[in-house]
Amino acid sequence: MRQWGTGAALLLAACCVIGLSHGKLSPLPRTAADESYLPDPAMAKLTSFGFDALLADFYWLQAVQLLGGPEGARGKSHRIGALVDLVTRLNPRVDHPYRFAALWMTDDLAAVHKANVLIQRGIEAHPDDWRNHFHLAFNYFFFLGENQRAAEVLATAVVLPRAPVYLGRLAARLRSDRGGLSAASAFLATLLQGAEDPQAREAYEQALQQVETERLARVLDRARQTFRERHARDIVSIDELVTVSPSVLERLPPDPFGSGWDLNKEGVIVSSGIGYRYVPQIDATNRQRIRQTTEGRTSGG
Amino acid sequence: MSKRLSVIAVLAGHTLRDAIRNKVLYVLLMFALLMIGMGMLLATLSYVERDRILQDVALSSIRLFGAAIAIFIGVGLVHREIDRRTIFTILSKPVSRADFLVGKYLGLVATLWLMLAAMSIGFVGVSLVADAPIGPSTFAALGAVGLELAVLVAIATLFSCFATPFLAGCYSLGFYLIGHITRDLRAIGEASDSEMMRTATAWLHRILPDLESFNWTIEAVHQLPISTSEFAWAAVMGVAWCVAFLTVASLVFERRDLR
Amino acid sequence: MVVDETPIVSIENLVKDFRPGFGLRRKRVLDGISFEVRRGEVFGFIGPNGAGKTTTLKVLMGLIRPTSGGARILGHDISEVGFRRHVGFLPEGPYFYDFLTGRETLDFYSRLCAVPKPERGRRVEELLHKVGLEDAADLRLRAYSKGMLQRVGIAQTLVHDPEIVFLDEPMSGLDPVGRKEIRDLIAGLHSGGKTVFMNTHILSDVELICDRIAIIANGRIVHEADAAALHAATGGEVDISVIGLDVGIAEGLERDFDVQMEGRGERIEIRLASKHVDEVIGRIVGGGGHIRAVAQVGGGLEDLFIETIGANRQQAAR
Ligand SMILES: Nc1ncnc2c1ncn2[C@@H]1O[C@H](COP(=O)(O)OP(=O)(O)O)[C@@H](O)[C@H]1O
Ligand SMILES: [Mg+2]
Repeated sequence: MRQWGTGAALLLAACCVIGLSHGKLSPLPRTAADESYLPDPAMAKLTSFGFDALLADFYWLQAVQLLGGPEGARGKSHRIGALVDLVTRLNPRVDHPYRFAALWMTDDLAAVHKANVLIQRGIEAHPDDWRNHFHLAFNYFFFLGENQRAAEVLATAVVLPRAPVYLGRLAARLRSDRGGLSAASAFLATLLQGAEDPQAREAYEQALQQVETERLARVLDRARQTFRERHARDIVSIDELVTVSPSVLERLPPDPFGSGWDLNKEGVIVSSGIGYRYVPQIDATNRQRIRQTTEGRTSGG
Repeated sequence: MSKRLSVIAVLAGHTLRDAIRNKVLYVLLMFALLMIGMGMLLATLSYVERDRILQDVALSSIRLFGAAIAIFIGVGLVHREIDRRTIFTILSKPVSRADFLVGKYLGLVATLWLMLAAMSIGFVGVSLVADAPIGPSTFAALGAVGLELAVLVAIATLFSCFATPFLAGCYSLGFYLIGHITRDLRAIGEASDSEMMRTATAWLHRILPDLESFNWTIEAVHQLPISTSEFAWAAVMGVAWCVAFLTVASLVFERRDLR
Repeated sequence: MVVDETPIVSIENLVKDFRPGFGLRRKRVLDGISFEVRRGEVFGFIGPNGAGKTTTLKVLMGLIRPTSGGARILGHDISEVGFRRHVGFLPEGPYFYDFLTGRETLDFYSRLCAVPKPERGRRVEELLHKVGLEDAADLRLRAYSKGMLQRVGIAQTLVHDPEIVFLDEPMSGLDPVGRKEIRDLIAGLHSGGKTVFMNTHILSDVELICDRIAIIANGRIVHEADAAALHAATGGEVDISVIGLDVGIAEGLERDFDVQMEGRGERIEIRLASKHVDEVIGRIVGGGGHIRAVAQVGGGLEDLFIETIGANRQQAAR
């Protein structure tokens, strides 16, 4: 009996000490401190000793976890690129990670170019999957403004199994270089339809809203032009388009962001929810400007 | 000849019976099944391709624990019998040392295949629960794991003929690891400018068992077709390696004093 | 007992070197051993611990390869395998698979020896009866006592009805009852016409059951002898313990037979040469003394053993 008592006491004491030391030690893995480190893909493949598929999953899960923070994918293009590169080198047969890269690597032009390299690799791994072609075409069109190349990529996707029939029309439209907002809408609607996770869906929905906002803003721009012609002066507020008779508009179209229309500092018609006009092509300077505008508004209002 | 075969069969059956009484095997098996179950949990971390992650983890666990069990039981093949001094009575009977090795070896392979079958049932089970695809490639890949384990236990058998279990385990593990990278090394060598590097890596790939030929994890998980001829050649190569290792093992064992 | 003179085992100039460890100096464990065992005899291979008995036996069983020289059993070279169908072997302190029962153990070994199926069950039961393990036949070996294991071991040497059995220290580590049981089993084999080759260092057993002996020391055969010759050469002394011995008779014994006496209370221990034992006992009893015990001291095999070993040690020391 006494032995049992001693044993139980020892066990209890040990458990207490373990619990105590848990409190003292950081629960984070040590490598988390140096988040930027990733092995060279060739080295990783060699040292996976045949467990490359498993290692690919490991890095894939890391990539997925990146989106978890409040920042989303913003500013993480480089790391996402490195992780997806690793994943797809370890196991080229993975499917979604290629499009994951295309979707989230949008921080700057360099990131988009790198994403295109990855999605190209995806096309090689899955030549029959139209979706990778579609993402590549979208990147060319939407971010890089290379409508001709986008059209070429789409044209190869048209014949692939399960490719939507309107890809052909979209390609033709891009080829005639009439890209424009409806093409962007068509792209985004397709992407939204095929979106594989809520975060992607949200991103596409937002982009679609921006495109729609831009379309409406252009309607308002034309109305403003008419106003100038009729009244020989510019509007001082958006409402004048409706209130000053003879009115050029019966009523203002609803702002997709729900916050109403406004004239910004430069006198440009904007949705007050965004505060700037949508620019289909991003590049480093654009991105910079967009961010400044947004931040300026939030701090000011 | 038939007498030899029946002696081998008796030894194999006896070895199987002995091995499945080993509690360590059940612990390893439990871990493997646990890991297969873990695959389901890990898969939920990703919002896409959960099937793939689940099956990657499960199949990798099967391969990992299969290899661990193979090395664990293989390295003790000769040593345990000497340690328990049971080998003296067996070899004083009309049983040649080669027959002894082959009989024991086949018993261990049977044991491993039994374990593999148990793990495969776990794999198919979780796949069905998670609605992940199961097809011909799945079974081909599991079969290839069986081949790999047979080769691995032959390697362990060879080392058990002259080394302590610990050292034999280290050597076998070395073979296992190298066997999985000779292809990669060869590819790296081919890409290099040095002629010597090219030749060296190519020969390394040729003279060591290329265990990657039995690794069809990716094909199984993505349900890619595995050609019959490729599978058949892998099987042929696997059997040939087993024969080679067992032959060398017999030659080494034949000369060994059993004090 | 008819003893066939043709050798069933013949060992010729057997040498075995052991290398105790990697790079260490070789150690000659068997140094040119030659002898023969004849069909039908019980052959005692005796020697002190470490003399090389087990090594010799393992060489004969093909478990150890000789460095040079060789041996034949039943006319076959020991490197062959097939003839082992006619050979039984009981290793020193035998171990078996302790998860098997006694019956399963015997069945396993009979399968290994390719005993035909119809015969197998019958033989196993017969042997279980012979070694007195019927009651424990379905017990796992881990529950067996040392004596029972030894009996399973002997049964195992016999499952395939061999012509010759080799036993390594079959009686060591057993209590007197166990030893007697094994001795009886060996005697049974002998009378059944089997040849028995037995390693031992327990001399009293050898005297009781062996027809012929060879003594090995430091890896060399130092003596070979027939049991009959041993008995004839019996010298040595006898201790007699007596009470109520008359003083006059005691003095007479001291004078006539050169005995040594030692008093222990009313008991007197008398040591004398064994050739006088009849006469001395006659006198004691005639003189009204009571004999309490008579015991052989040394002599026979033990003397021979100690003498030959001692001579060998001195030789080795020189
Ligand atoms: N495994 C071994 N390695 C090295 N030397 C050994 C080994 N086994 C026995 N020997 C040596 O061989 C000699 C003979 O041993 P053994 O044949 O077992 O003697 P016996 O059976 O007569 O007691 C001993 O001196 C012993 O030291
Ligand atoms: Mg001995």
